[in-house]
Amino acid sequence: MADITLDRVSKIYPNGVPAVREVSLDIKDGEFMIFLGPSGCGKSTTLRMIAGLESVTSGRLSIGGALMNDVDPADRNIAIVFQNYALYPHMSVAGNLGFGLQLRKVPKAEIDRRIAAISAMLGIGELLDRKPAHLSGGQRQRVALGRALVREPKAFLLDEPLSNLDAKLRASMRTELIKLHQTLGTTIVHVTHDQVEAMTMGQRICIMKDGEIVQVGAPMEVYRYPADIFVAGFLASPPMNLVAGRLDAEAGGLTAIAGSARFQLPQGFASAYAAQSGNPVTLGLRPEDFHLSARDLKHPQGVAVTAVATEVLGPEVILVCGLGGKGGPEIMVRCPRDFTATPGQALDLHYDLSQIHLFDKTTGKALQRPRSL
Amino acid sequence: MSEMTVNNAITLTDRRDRRFGWLMASPSLALLFLVILFPVFWAFFTSLHDYTLIAPNFDTFTGAGNFIKAAEDGEFRHSLWLTAMFVVGVVLLEFLLGFMVALALNKVERFKAIYYAILLCPLLMNPVIVGLIWRMFLHPNLGIVNYLLSTIGLGPVNWLGSTSVAIWTIILVDIWHQVSFMIVLLLAGLSALPKEPYEAARVDGASPLQCLWRITLPLMRPVIIVTLLIRLIFAVKTYDLIYIMTRGGPGVSTDFISYFIYRTAFVSLNIGEASAMSITLLAIILALTLYLYRYMRSLA
Repeated sequence: MADITLDRVSKIYPNGVPAVREVSLDIKDGEFMIFLGPSGCGKSTTLRMIAGLESVTSGRLSIGGALMNDVDPADRNIAIVFQNYALYPHMSVAGNLGFGLQLRKVPKAEIDRRIAAISAMLGIGELLDRKPAHLSGGQRQRVALGRALVREPKAFLLDEPLSNLDAKLRASMRTELIKLHQTLGTTIVHVTHDQVEAMTMGQRICIMKDGEIVQVGAPMEVYRYPADIFVAGFLASPPMNLVAGRLDAEAGGLTAIAGSARFQLPQGFASAYAAQSGNPVTLGLRPEDFHLSARDLKHPQGVAVTAVATEVLGPEVILVCGLGGKGGPEIMVRCPRDFTATPGQALDLHYDLSQIHLFDKTTGKALQRPRSL
Repeated sequence: MSEMTVNNAITLTDRRDRRFGWLMASPSLALLFLVILFPVFWAFFTSLHDYTLIAPNFDTFTGAGNFIKAAEDGEFRHSLWLTAMFVVGVVLLEFLLGFMVALALNKVERFKAIYYAILLCPLLMNPVIVGLIWRMFLHPNLGIVNYLLSTIGLGPVNWLGSTSVAIWTIILVDIWHQVSFMIVLLLAGLSALPKEPYEAARVDGASPLQCLWRITLPLMRPVIIVTLLIRLIFAVKTYDLIYIMTRGGPGVSTDFISYFIYRTAFVSLNIGEASAMSITLLAIILALTLYLYRYMRSLA
């Protein structure tokens, strides 16, 4: 059992700088948990506290039900993979893999057996005699992973392990890590600032900002129901368009108005937020929820835009345009790959109103979308 | 055709640059030759002749005679042996002490600059001054060291006057003077070590002592070797301390090679033999330097 439980865990550095504030989280046994956030949000510090490399200033940290606050990293039976791999430069690959086992007085034959098994699994069997300096980035990454695996720990802690790899290698390592998790079924906590990694790898994502947890949930849950403007703007690429606007009650319904663009909200919204009528809000419009359409603007879902630029990505085209017409707030729209537009061209789009997001203008918190939508 | 012109042009500018380079370097090269290379060659030339200050001429060519005479000279061999003992002693002791202090200082955050300043004080002092100060401190009757020893009931020690104690006294003073050099170099090496392998080792379950043996020492190997060699080369040449503190005495108990060569040349006035000894010493130091140079190149 390797549940990892954080109960109001805080980290305040001796110079008084708080890195992590009152974080509470329950990571289940065998779960693939992602810590996602911008640099300096406290995600790595939280991971290092779980590893025992940073002390816990206050709160309770337990692994498998046992309190770990003052337990030595070596006795927590966890393994960590560092961003820059942290291999022992003077030891061969085999030496790196076997060092932890040697220190634990595992018999030589058993060490050799495990090194052979792990190196075969990771495809580094040929490299056992090499020093880390003579390995490529991807190979070092595998050795670092192997060093964690060979110990057969209760949980793996991965501290941005893919961020030093080139894009292609990163994509393939992503898949390998997912497969690895499926084979081993061990708890994995993976720290990243890359939202693609977070969306594709994790069973749950814990999004952090300024040392606090903003939202925890399954990837699609977080994508569909972002708790606030920060989460909305952080996930997905291009991110959600955030446009200042206000709510207005009209014709028995509720309309969100941003400049000259009007979005007539579905009935669920109208009943839930009728009291907010007249309040300023931030509209969240995902680029993928706009559609090119022949429908005219009289239709409630119609939106007029003026093209500013297009970014051709291959599989798709990103249209940058002014919402509501020329001079309106700039938004991004995902278009099919054969889409073309000239700057200044007026276009009629339509927006999937069931996917509209609204955020409180002052607090940034989401006006939670009715789940029936 | 045009390619050839371009090629020619490059060779021409190349040649002009090279000539200009030699022109700019020639004054310093000439000076170096005059003050360093020429004396060395002159010493080598002298070492092949029977040249004394009583009869300063190159009339008698002796070939390797001076070298053979030196090799057969018991006193020369004694001073070589003494120097070797001294060098190994000070370098090892200074290394052990220096490494311990460097390890401790590497963990210190507060007042680091103050520790540095205190450590560097002896290193900034001229060896002659160091010798004079310690000669006074260690004076058998008037020195502060024996006075302090007497307050805790320890008898007076004849620091520089006893044949068995004098060399250890020199070693101790040399350690006092030079250990900071080791500390500063080793500390620079330690603070440049990557931090991450230590964190990995903590998770792997290594104790502090295991970290020292299995990670710090192997990673520090290049720095340690370079530091040891530099100190070794300097220690072989030790002269000032001996000249000020013991003059090789009592008897010949601190008669290190540099001082012995000085005595042969300017007391016995036998320049030819002294030159042969100097050339031998130069060969030893050159061999060490060459090894150091090779090793440093193999690191890069």
